[in-house]
Amino acid sequence: MKSQRLTGRRLTSAAIYLLSGALGLVAFIYPFFAPVVAADRAWAHGQDAPLLTAALVGLSVLALMVELQGRSLSAKTVAMLGVLVAVTSVLRFLETAFPMPGGFSPIFAPIMIAGYVFGGRFGFLMGTFTLLASALITGGVGPWLPYQMYTAGWAGLTAGWLRTLASAMRRPRSGRVSRLDVGAGHLSEDRGQAWTRWSILMLCIFGFMWGLLYGAIVNVYFWPFAGGPAEQTWVPGIGLGETLARYAAFYVVTSLVWDLTRAAGNVALILLLGAPMVKALERFRRRFNFEVGDVGQRAGSTQEEAGICV
Amino acid sequence: MFDARVWLIWALATLVTASSTRNPLYIIVLLLTTTVVSATCPEGEGRRAPLSPLRFATFAVPLSTVFNALTVHFGHTVLFRLPDWLPLMGGTVTLEAMSFGAVNGLTLTVIFSAFSVFNQVTPVRDLIRLAPRAFHEGGVVLSIALTFIPQTARSLNRIRDAQAVRGHRVRGVRDWVPIVVPLLVSGLERAMGLAEAMVARGYGAVSDEAQPVHRAGVLVLGLLALLGGWLAYLFRPAWQTGAVAMMIVGAALVGVVVWVTGRGVRHTVYRERRWTLGDSLVLAGCALTLAITLTQSTALQYSPYPRLELPPFAPIVGLGMLGLLVPAVVTLGQETTESHQTKGIGQQAHLKADNG
Repeated sequence: MKSQRLTGRRLTSAAIYLLSGALGLVAFIYPFFAPVVAADRAWAHGQDAPLLTAALVGLSVLALMVELQGRSLSAKTVAMLGVLVAVTSVLRFLETAFPMPGGFSPIFAPIMIAGYVFGGRFGFLMGTFTLLASALITGGVGPWLPYQMYTAGWAGLTAGWLRTLASAMRRPRSGRVSRLDVGAGHLSEDRGQAWTRWSILMLCIFGFMWGLLYGAIVNVYFWPFAGGPAEQTWVPGIGLGETLARYAAFYVVTSLVWDLTRAAGNVALILLLGAPMVKALERFRRRFNFEVGDVGQRAGSTQEEAGICV
Repeated sequence: MFDARVWLIWALATLVTASSTRNPLYIIVLLLTTTVVSATCPEGEGRRAPLSPLRFATFAVPLSTVFNALTVHFGHTVLFRLPDWLPLMGGTVTLEAMSFGAVNGLTLTVIFSAFSVFNQVTPVRDLIRLAPRAFHEGGVVLSIALTFIPQTARSLNRIRDAQAVRGHRVRGVRDWVPIVVPLLVSGLERAMGLAEAMVARGYGAVSDEAQPVHRAGVLVLGLLALLGGWLAYLFRPAWQTGAVAMMIVGAALVGVVVWVTGRGVRHTVYRERRWTLGDSLVLAGCALTLAITLTQSTALQYSPYPRLELPPFAPIVGLGMLGLLVPAVVTLGQETTESHQTKGIGQQAHLKADNG
């Protein structure tokens, strides 16, 4: 009975992740396929679709937050999340006080590293709350905020999945490295160092990719409204290929250099701070997982609390 | 001052109105409105954005004007011509393209200005209070983060001083490592202490239960309805009514789950803020502006292409936009009343002193 309930819970949880992700994705990329429909049927939603998109992104963030919070956060997770969000928000404050080159922002590397160490659920919450808290302290609340929260949340969420991928890719040479192995300090020093180097390499690639993706995704929300040359603006009814070509031209002209500095900044920060941060966070993860009591009964829930199972 | 929800609606109404037109006259009316509201409404406990709307305008308007002028080669009034071999920029530079770029920059300034006012007048605690009860754990995380931010900033300075005493100087990015890592570790140590204090005070003792499966099932249904409705809305014009109905049902199901989840959370408020007549007046002003924006969409339309002409101005639309000025009017009215009352009390005190 209990296992049936657990399977049902996992299935609904996976469905919520999938559907809210799909909803957000469709809401973001609708300009790329809506024109095909418009050309075909002489019907388009040039005016109302952008407003609906904003509502849909908001609803999908709400649904994902309900799901992520619905699994009940422990006091340790709440405290750690709050403090890490505070530390990262201070970095954002530094960014606004001392403007940095292009789109470089010091907040993305900590979000990805935290998601990588503590799991996707923790990463998503850290991404969304960091953007929200830093917007509150720097006066950055605006129509752009839900989109920024959603995208940063997904960067943190996928960083958790990266850990699984990194572990699976290490399997042939040195055996699969599970989060539990690292968390419980089961790895030898050499293997531990090799694993940290491998993690940093994976995080660098991931950080570079999200540096570009963040800009490319967030741009899409205002692109249908943006004015500009005909070869860079969205017009209903021009077809998928033409829309993609126009968006690519718009992105290259307005954002590529900006986003490249963000991507390069992410890589530089991960190279500089990644290894000590991963080590420190791993150590605290072990400490946060430590509980006195019936280990056999509590082990599963404790791992889940720290986001291990996401 | 006004309720945080009222300010949010005011900022959103300004956003919708500014996005609905490219007529420079209406955009200027909106810009003046947000400027007057910003000047008259006290800062309260809100935060000022690092960039003022004026400074934002000084780079957004010229940038947008130059960008549009150099990349859009359309319009009858040709100012000069750039060589064709220049990628994207080669071609005619027209007055119409410059005007359109300038209006785009002004529109962005209006939106930025409206949200600057929102940030300026709304205290952070009121914003956190806007979060639905279902997200109470998120509210706790946010409260911890906002409480710890000043402490973290102080820690940062302490660590920098301590490292400086040991001869460490920050010359490049690499020199931040001995500062950021101790900052992170000390923060996590504080989190450990905080978590123990929270557990000792009973945090999670009553709410340590996962969300029921059936509630998650309703959430799945809601998301399915939203996704299905949205796809039908885009791809099946004939099903438009059904698609909208599906989206409404989906949004309602998500809303019900949020409401039911929040209902189980015990909530206490210390000194609840009362709804005032001023709040209602501001809402009425926003409703008036939105009604005019939605019903007079033809009057709002204007484009400088293909030949620049004077933009039309419909007085009813201009007057409707003044609905967004209500916060300033109400604030000035309140200040006048308060100053009269203070003067009255002062005169009474004078009279008493004279009689005495």
